[in-house]
Amino acid sequence: MRRLHCFALTTLALALSGPASADETCNSPYISKLIKGQEDYVYVWTLGVEGLGDGSDKLVTVDVNPKSKSYGKVISSVSTGTRAEAHHMGFTDDRRHIWAGGLSANTIWVFDIAGDPAKPKLVRTVSDLGDKSGFLGPHTYYALPGRMLVQALSNTKDKGGQTGMALYSNQGKFLDAKAMPTANGGDGYGYDLAVNPKKNVLLTSSFSGYANYMRPLGDLIKDAEAMKNFGNTMVVWDLKALKPQKVLSVPGAPLEIRWSLNPKDNWAITATALGSKLWLVKQDAGGDWTAKDVGAIGDPSKIPLPVDISIRRDGKGLWVNTFMDGKTRYFDLSNPEAPKQTYEKVTGKQVNMISQSWDGKRVYITSSLLANWDKGGADNEQFIRGFAWNGKELAQKFEVDFNKEQLGRAHHMKLGSKALQAKAEGG
Amino acid sequence: MKRLALAAALAAAPAFAHHVELLPPLDFVPPAPGSYVLHHIMPAPEGRVLGVDGRAAPLSRYTHGGITLLGFIYTTCSDPDGCPLAYRVFDALKEAIASRHELHGKVRFVTLSFDPARDTPEVMKSYAGSRALDKGNGLRWTFLTTRSARELMPLVEGFGQDVRVTRNGRELSHVLKVFLIDAGGDVREIYSSNFLHPQVVLNDIETLLAEER
Repeated sequence: MRRLHCFALTTLALALSGPASADETCNSPYISKLIKGQEDYVYVWTLGVEGLGDGSDKLVTVDVNPKSKSYGKVISSVSTGTRAEAHHMGFTDDRRHIWAGGLSANTIWVFDIAGDPAKPKLVRTVSDLGDKSGFLGPHTYYALPGRMLVQALSNTKDKGGQTGMALYSNQGKFLDAKAMPTANGGDGYGYDLAVNPKKNVLLTSSFSGYANYMRPLGDLIKDAEAMKNFGNTMVVWDLKALKPQKVLSVPGAPLEIRWSLNPKDNWAITATALGSKLWLVKQDAGGDWTAKDVGAIGDPSKIPLPVDISIRRDGKGLWVNTFMDGKTRYFDLSNPEAPKQTYEKVTGKQVNMISQSWDGKRVYITSSLLANWDKGGADNEQFIRGFAWNGKELAQKFEVDFNKEQLGRAHHMKLGSKALQAKAEGG
Repeated sequence: MKRLALAAALAAAPAFAHHVELLPPLDFVPPAPGSYVLHHIMPAPEGRVLGVDGRAAPLSRYTHGGITLLGFIYTTCSDPDGCPLAYRVFDALKEAIASRHELHGKVRFVTLSFDPARDTPEVMKSYAGSRALDKGNGLRWTFLTTRSARELMPLVEGFGQDVRVTRNGRELSHVLKVFLIDAGGDVREIYSSNFLHPQVVLNDIETLLAEER
C-alpha cells in the first residue's frame, strides 16, 4: 500500500512538475511558494536593439547560482522575433507561466517555465488587449487566483495617458476592463498595481502615456506641455469588486508599489519618478486610506529619477535605484513614516530595475529604463549585475554585458529556482 | 476596531455562530451581493471521479445544474491554512445555508481528494462522516476521489490547483483554492486562504443567484 501510495505521488509529481520562480519580495500574494533559499536563475526581459543580435525583444535566462559551472552566464534566450519596447513581466498564480509585454504594442508573450525553468519556452501570445479594452502598453502583470490583472499605460485612441486595467484568465481569455478613474480627483493615468488581500485593497499608481514614454527623453523634458502629462495620483480600489474607492494625491508620477510583507504592517510604499520622494500609503485610525510624503530620494532638484524600489521581506528596509546618477540607495524603514538613507553606491552609469532575494543577501540590478530614455554613447551600459549584500556593503559578484553579448537592453527581472520543482523522494 | 466589530457581528449571526469563531477574522466589509461582477473565468474541467460508493461518474455530474463550491483536499492534510480551513468554511456555510430557506436546494459542496492512492472511496466515506448525509437542511455535500493519478491529473491541471509532493514524499504541498462554479459549469470565483471566508462566499453565492432571477 505504501509503495502504491508513493508510486501515485511520484506519478503525480512528475506529471505536475511545477516551476518555482519569483521576484521574491514583490510578487502577488497569490503566487504559490516563494524561493526562500538560493535562486538559480534570473529571467531578464530584454528590449531588442536594431543591429544588435537579432534585434528582437527576448527573455534571457542568467544562471545565478554560485555553485553552478555556468554562474553569471547566459544559459538561455528566447526571442519574440519582434521589437515592442519590452518592459515588465509577471508570474501566473500557479507559477507555470510568465506573462511579459511591451509598451509600444499590445502583444503579451506567455512563456512556459514549468517544463524546464532553465529554458523558458514561448507558448502563447495574447493580442486582443487593444481591441477588447482600448488600452495600449501593458505594463504590470499581477496574478489573481486563476487570473492575470494587467495594468496598461496608454490607450489606442490618442496614445495619451488615459488608460486602465484588463483582467484575463490564466488561459488568456479576456474577462473585463476597468478604466482608471477620472472623477473625484482621478487623473486617468496608470502604472503599477499591488494588492493587500487581507484588506481587500488594490492600490494603483500613475505614470504617462505612449506619446511621452516613446519620445526621446531629451526632447520630452524641453516640452513643458508634454511634461504636464504625467500622473499625480494613486487609487485605492475595492479589490473584490474592482471599483475605485478613493483617489490619493501623490504628485510626481508614483511608480512601483510595494506592500510591506510583515504581517503586522498595514502600509505600502512608493517612489515618485519626477518628485523624487518616498510616499507612504496607510490606513489612519479611522480606517481611511491616506498618502503621505515621507522623505526625499537624493536631491529632488537634480531629478535623480527614482525608477525602481525593492522592499525587504520584513518591511524594514528598501532599495531605491535612481537612473540619472546610477545610484543604488538603501533606506532604513524601521519607521516607515521617516525612512532614513543609510547607504548608497554607484552601481552603473545608468541603473533601472532592482530585485533582491528573499533573504536580502543578494541584489540584482539592470540598466535599461526605456529605449528612448536610456543614455547614449559610453553611458549606455546594458547589463545585469549581481551583488552580495552583507548589511553594510554591496559587493559585485558577476556581470553580464548585454551589449557585448548582443542581447539588447536589460530591463525587468524575475527570479527562478529548480529546487522548488516537485520531486518525490523515497518513493 | 472595525475588524473586531465585524468578527463579532459574524459570530453573533445565527448562520455562522458555531464555526466563525474558529476562522481567521475577516478584516474588511465585503461588497454587497449583486453589487459586483463575478467573471466567467473558465469552464470547470471534466474528468472521471469516484463517489464514496466506489461508482465512477463524470465530474460534470457534480458541477452542472446548480451552484457548486468545490475544494481539493487530502484526508491527512494537517496544514491549518489548508484543508482544515476549507473544512471549517464549508461547515460554516452549511450552517448558514441551512438557516436560509431561500438557499435550500440551490447550492452543493464537492470535496475532491488529490491523493487517490490513500484517499480511497472507503477513506473518503469515513472522512465525510455525517457531512455526506442530507438531513433535509437543503444542501448536498458530495465527497469524491479518483481511481488514479492519471485520472486526477486533468482535473488538477484544469482547475489550476497547485500541488507538489514534499521532499519526504509523505505530504502534498498545495495552496488552498476553492472554486465557485455556476449552474452552467463555469468557474466564477477562486478563493485562496486570504479570501476564503464564509461571508465572502455567501455573498458570491447570492450574487450568482441574483443573476438567475
